[in-house]
Amino acid sequence: MLDTLSYTDVPGDRSDHEIIVYALSTCGFCKRAMAFLDAKGLTYRYIYMDRVPIETKNEAKKALKERYKTDVAFPFAVVDGKRPLVGFIEPDWVKTLEL
Amino acid sequence: MPAPKSFDQTMTFATMVAKKQGWTLNPDTEFTKDLVDGLAVNWNRYGYFLCPCRDSDGSREADAKIICPCAPAWKDVEERGHCFCALYLDPAFAASGKEPRSIPDRKSQF
Repeated sequence: MLDTLSYTDVPGDRSDHEIIVYALSTCGFCKRAMAFLDAKGLTYRYIYMDRVPIETKNEAKKALKERYKTDVAFPFAVVDGKRPLVGFIEPDWVKTLEL
Repeated sequence: MPAPKSFDQTMTFATMVAKKQGWTLNPDTEFTKDLVDGLAVNWNRYGYFLCPCRDSDGSREADAKIICPCAPAWKDVEERGHCFCALYLDPAFAASGKEPRSIPDRKSQF
């Protein structure tokens, strides 16, 4: 069902990885994470989960938890469809994104 | 639904919470402004100050542990130097110049 969500595309100069960010529009760390991706010029897609109907959101969170075997907190990023990043800890993002 | 709150009213709320608990608002004023904005959005959306870095489970009762200041905030400030969303900091942590980062959510332990 994650494929049916409406993501916003952010084009960048680099598309080394497929990056999807599940975020909250109200969250400081989510904003910081996306500013980090912007500053690195990376292409990514995002969705503000607090603007999704609660039934859809809960279904998406369940799907993320089952697929990536980890609790869901925001920001929650998925790199290349397989590597999850939970929360924004810059060194972890640098390492996973091979920057 | 309670009356809407402005950014300034929400900032007053956060300032009073910090003062009462002996915490410091995050000295990164831009970051703090975003969080207070988020708190105001949540008040005007749900009718209570849902933590800006957590999503609602659909009711005040279900969200009780994550209404600002959230249930883990005291332990998080004491042990990690700041609360989950990093609005409130331990004064010593703030003075150290360390930058808050995402921490695990311990709401299920409360």
